[in-house]
Amino acid sequence: MVLGNLMKILNGEILLNKKYGENLYKMEIFSPYICKNALPGQFVNIKCCYEGMLDPLLRRPFGIYEIDKRFNVFTILYLIKGKGTLFLSKLKKGEILNFIGPLGNAIKIVTGAENYLLVGGGIGVAPLCLIARYLTDLQKNVYFMAGFKDELFFSWENDLIKIVRNYRIFTENGSFGEKGLPTNFIREHIDQYKKFNFICCGPREMLKALQDILQGKNIAAIALMEEMMACGIGVCMGCVIKIKEGNNAFTYKRVCSDGPAFNLMEVIFD
Amino acid sequence: MTENISESAPDLSINLGRIKLKNPVITCSGTFASGIEYNQFYNISNLGAVTTKSFSLNKRLGNSPPRLCETAGGMLNAIGLANEGIYYFINEQLPVLKNLQVSIILSIFGEDNNEFLRIAKEVNSIKDDIVAVEMNLSCPNVDKGGIAFCSMPDHVESLINSVREILDIPLIAKLSPNNDNFIETAAKARNGGAEAISLVNTVIGTAIDIDNFKPKLGNIFGGLSGPAIKPIALAKVMQLARENILPIIGMGGIFYWQDAVEFMIAGASAVGIGTLNFVEVDAGEKILEGISNYLLEKNINNLGEIIGKVFKKW
Repeated sequence: MVLGNLMKILNGEILLNKKYGENLYKMEIFSPYICKNALPGQFVNIKCCYEGMLDPLLRRPFGIYEIDKRFNVFTILYLIKGKGTLFLSKLKKGEILNFIGPLGNAIKIVTGAENYLLVGGGIGVAPLCLIARYLTDLQKNVYFMAGFKDELFFSWENDLIKIVRNYRIFTENGSFGEKGLPTNFIREHIDQYKKFNFICCGPREMLKALQDILQGKNIAAIALMEEMMACGIGVCMGCVIKIKEGNNAFTYKRVCSDGPAFNLMEVIFD
Repeated sequence: MTENISESAPDLSINLGRIKLKNPVITCSGTFASGIEYNQFYNISNLGAVTTKSFSLNKRLGNSPPRLCETAGGMLNAIGLANEGIYYFINEQLPVLKNLQVSIILSIFGEDNNEFLRIAKEVNSIKDDIVAVEMNLSCPNVDKGGIAFCSMPDHVESLINSVREILDIPLIAKLSPNNDNFIETAAKARNGGAEAISLVNTVIGTAIDIDNFKPKLGNIFGGLSGPAIKPIALAKVMQLARENILPIIGMGGIFYWQDAVEFMIAGASAVGIGTLNFVEVDAGEKILEGISNYLLEKNINNLGEIIGKVFKKW
């Protein structure tokens, strides 16, 4: 019912706010507390206006992209999608960010599982990168597949190279990596991945396609889900998704406090 | 020391009928769960009271997503009163809250009179552990074709009266700003036995996605809250306060302590902090501190001196 006692209201200095592509940014934030306590799969809820301002009203949740414990710095990767992220993109090094975290549950690593296929679509690659680092540190075999519309994430590949050795990048228009969708590739080569645990994050269409591919295959799959949030701490009941419960029944689960990670095969995509 | 500043802390205690609170800062139902989550950020027993999420008799799943939509200066919600049911509150949450020594206002709602009465019977067994029951009268009455309870003043009177016969603790009627007859409803709530009025619930609103031509909320319509509704809420509170019917818990878009003071000057005896809890998780504490500092700076010893003061200045 209640999240761990670790979440706190925090202020952290911005150490870097770098443009990676047209509307793709990476921000580094100094926070010993997050670096000490956050785990893969968790997120921070960032205030996206100056102190005393009201617009945009609600905080914005961001999956943690990287944690560097040596320098007490954590990183988020974000796309400018609206007022909140536009505000973030204009912040300069040295400014102070207000955020609440760490929030949500860490992903659970199953004992004995050695092979992981991480499938990210668009900005959904961000939280998967932290998970990939974590799994690599645990000496797991990690394969990363990423799909994008176009070459926007071109610079990001330099980050990915440092995390995993095995990866494939797809773009819908073929401008970067292989042309096509990672889900089509997986569908055609599913036999290669029967002994893999899937962890995925991205657009609903991608998650739904993966669910269809994995149906009846007895392959474990975790999906990191995304929904509009108000509080981020399990109170407002706003960020719910439909989850299967029993035969032909469902319940609603909160992405923020019951997730963000769910068993992909139990998610109902209406 | 500046000569105008009083040395002692001002008296923040207030009375809402028989309800005695140590200060006027209350949380709005549905924005604070039962408070347990927020106790990780500050000591919630310092609040005047915590109003719980509204409980029905049995668990309710709530509306289909999307349930939220941010708007300019506010947010729309269509949660659909999702909750775990009154037994969950009694068995799981109440023991924790008692341990935290929180003053609890329990919010309840029903789809019809019968559900309200059945909840009241259950609540009777824990009445010594809560300071009041807030009846959420903005919910649809299934027996009356889905019209909100609070739009039917006579019905409100008889419902509150019936609950009152079962449950002898202070009752608060929470009213909507969406009905023009809210003053009449408040008067009837008093006749039925309510001891205070919570005003306002959210304002009906909607938003549309211009790319797919659909409403942004799964439920089509939702309730607008946040700073966008504050002037509306303040006007309703002032209109009701002028009639001097019952003590008022004023709420609707309070984001700064100054907003809370405005509501009290407009006639509210207490204030509800709602959507702000989502944004600033320690808001209750900060608003309380702001009110206290304001009284100190103004050399006002008693909160009662500012409640409804706007009418004395006209």
